[in-house]
Amino acid sequence: MVNENLVKDVVKEPYKYGFVTDIETEKIEKGLNEDIIKLISQKKEEPKFLLDFRLKAFKKWQKMKEPDWAALGYKKIDYQDIIYYSAPKQKEKISSLDEVDPKLLETFDKLGIPLTEQKKLTNVAVDAVFDSVSIATTFREELAEHGVIFCSISEAVKNHADLIEKYLGTVVPASDNYFAALNSAVFSDGSFVYIPKGVTCPMDLSSYFRINSGDSGQFERTLIIAEESSSVSYLEGCTAPMFDTNTLHAAVVELITLDDASIKYSTVQNWYAGDEKGVGGIFNFVTKRGKCLGKRSKISWSQVETGSAITWKYPSCLLLGEESVGEFYSVALTNNLQQADTGTKMIHIGPKTKSTIVSKGISAGNSKNSYRGLVKMGTKAKGSRNYSQCDSMLIGDKASANTFPYIKSQQPNSEIEHEASTCRISEDQLFYLQSRGIEFEEAVSMMVSGFCKDVFNQLPMEFAAEADKLLALKLEGSVG
Amino acid sequence: MEIIEKIKTNKSTDNHTEIQKICLHKLQSSPLPNPKSELWRLSNKSKLSNFLDYPVNEKDSKFDIPYPKNSQNTIRLIIGANCQIKLTEKNYSILQLGENELQKYIKEQISFFNQNENWSDLLNLSLSCKNNILGLKINGSKIPPIEIFSHASSNSLNAKTLVIFLEKNCDIELLQVNLGKENSSLSQSTFFCLKENSSVKHGVVSYGENKSNLLNSLNVIQQKNSTYNLGSLHFKFNYARFEISIKQTAGNAKTNIKGMQITKKDEQISTYTKIEFNGPNGFLDQINKSLADDKSHAIFEGSIIVPKIAQKTDASQLSRNLLLSNLAQIDTKPQLEIIADDVKCKHGATISQLNEEELFYMRTRGITLTEASKLQLSSYFKEIISFIPVSKDRWDLLDKLLNEN
Repeated sequence: MVNENLVKDVVKEPYKYGFVTDIETEKIEKGLNEDIIKLISQKKEEPKFLLDFRLKAFKKWQKMKEPDWAALGYKKIDYQDIIYYSAPKQKEKISSLDEVDPKLLETFDKLGIPLTEQKKLTNVAVDAVFDSVSIATTFREELAEHGVIFCSISEAVKNHADLIEKYLGTVVPASDNYFAALNSAVFSDGSFVYIPKGVTCPMDLSSYFRINSGDSGQFERTLIIAEESSSVSYLEGCTAPMFDTNTLHAAVVELITLDDASIKYSTVQNWYAGDEKGVGGIFNFVTKRGKCLGKRSKISWSQVETGSAITWKYPSCLLLGEESVGEFYSVALTNNLQQADTGTKMIHIGPKTKSTIVSKGISAGNSKNSYRGLVKMGTKAKGSRNYSQCDSMLIGDKASANTFPYIKSQQPNSEIEHEASTCRISEDQLFYLQSRGIEFEEAVSMMVSGFCKDVFNQLPMEFAAEADKLLALKLEGSVG
Repeated sequence: MEIIEKIKTNKSTDNHTEIQKICLHKLQSSPLPNPKSELWRLSNKSKLSNFLDYPVNEKDSKFDIPYPKNSQNTIRLIIGANCQIKLTEKNYSILQLGENELQKYIKEQISFFNQNENWSDLLNLSLSCKNNILGLKINGSKIPPIEIFSHASSNSLNAKTLVIFLEKNCDIELLQVNLGKENSSLSQSTFFCLKENSSVKHGVVSYGENKSNLLNSLNVIQQKNSTYNLGSLHFKFNYARFEISIKQTAGNAKTNIKGMQITKKDEQISTYTKIEFNGPNGFLDQINKSLADDKSHAIFEGSIIVPKIAQKTDASQLSRNLLLSNLAQIDTKPQLEIIADDVKCKHGATISQLNEEELFYMRTRGITLTEASKLQLSSYFKEIISFIPVSKDRWDLLDKLLNEN
């Protein structure tokens, strides 16, 4: 019989990114109204179309109700008690990394995200977002040689307003849902990527999100456009300090692929999850959606969700182009009082479209882990296919694992397959490993790693190593 | 919707039984189910209001049991036939439940009811008068197969209720037949209580005619070591809902469900199942098949709930669907809600059309496309039909499914 307490100890892990950087920040007053939105827009020197976009979204948001269908138990969020703009104080516009506050660089160094030249070795371009604004983007010149635009969204608004005006809000409309409307009204920064026709991005792009203030929300917006026959791999990482209060994070990510283009979007989310009693932690309400506009285009989401007190996230694909492909690979680990409600939507609109869903949920402690997904075959999705697999692993008898797959088909010439299973760590396998001299915690960690292998294999090299380490840390923690 | 108006005003008369009064009262604050709730979201609103449009018929018109006319060794009962049932043989007894016992049991059930989740039951109980409630207590061994009929006559809404207590160590085969006439609505609620070590092979066959509607609800309570097998088939209804709720009160029970719904024209037939395990070592094997043709809509939603107490539960749920037309649609949503850790639970769902390779193979052997499709369909249907007990052969279900329409 597995010693329940031992397993519980094994999944405990102290949060090592919980420090606060003492840095002077510029914040605006709490609360949300039209004036605040105008102020944010003014601070960012935005063109009129964007201010209109924000105000329109705000009007819609006011009329909307916070969704409750996910049945996540969290205390009511007071939207007037949040600071909607917070930025590290900088006197002048910075032109090179040397001018960035060394404290900030130190912070990112601590997080294992060196923004300096060392990063060259790993060949990853990084856009670092601290609270509300992007502080640095590396490797710009090299990317520019290939015609790739990789910058913060505020810069893109200034330098590539035409692209922003053309694409912003086309995948996730401002009125899409409550949190997307809120984000559209107050988004502060985020990343913008544009890959021109025929270009394979020479390096992986990465953005790193860091919440530092306890009372400000983070509302970033990411927009990635892959023109015909281009491809890019994009990585995203997130951490936050430990506070007793809950911090709101409501992001929107929009991806667009044209003919033969592909985007691979990987996330390792490790926001602060709150303590064992469920005090503090990030409320993570994210809308991520990709639109496969072109023929044979592909969008692939892979995610490792280990942090946040509440995760509400459904990276989706709208498969419009003929023979376009959507993929979703996810690992969600919840412990203590964490709640994760995550999954995907694969909307097959064009003919011969294909999608694959692989979701692995691990719940420990008193946590709640749900997979919620939608697969829809529209009337024109002739010859389309979907395959979904959701597996859950339960550790301890207080954790819960739920699966809610919605499947809808209006096209007889299409095939949908879905399977789901729930299990616990197999005692036989544990016994076998232990009888071979492998420590208990290592055996558990190996088995969890094996359980998640299908997903880890999909992550880019840099992230696969980080994800495996992260999961191993969560599992070994105090014991290992 | 005259009925809804009546519920709203709550004009209960002296003729109303206490149960009717309680249900009317429960429905009064919101007489219709919330269309935004998950259980009613996909339900066709105009079809539901059409269901409620007919006047309630409390008196029973003469009812002839349709084909097969005669069957030996089968006990045949008609709900609403207003006759006293008292069958006491050497090995077994089938008795009508006493008024008090019946009232007490139904009242106890109602106390757990929720306006949205049990709307069909509340409506049924608020409409079904004394004559249309049949309560049976079955005891003994070597009980012959039982057939129970419910029917709705044209241009009216009929509400029928069936309550069955199956005593300890009892083993029965029961076929329930729900028949809808042209332009009729039938509300059928069944309450089944399986005592320890009892076992049932239950069949539910519902078939209608043009424009007939059905709300069929089945509530089963399974005590320890009981076995409940259900084979169900719903077809030819303009609008039909089949709601199954099964509770394994102390675990250690077995449930097998094989259900099928077939929709054509612009029909909508849906199946909602909720299976709760309230004890350890529970077992469930469920398969639900749908076939949607023409402009019809088939829906399946199944939830399996495994709380902490239900360790060592073994549950599997499969939803298989055939979509045969460009204008038809299928929605399916199998769900698992699990808190216990030592369990084996899985579910699966597929939606596709007839297998083209198999069709091609048969055609190369000289079988016409129509025949080949029928062969494929018959194998698809047979798995379910063979699970429906009693007189399934005499009812020629397969023939009805393949050759009618």
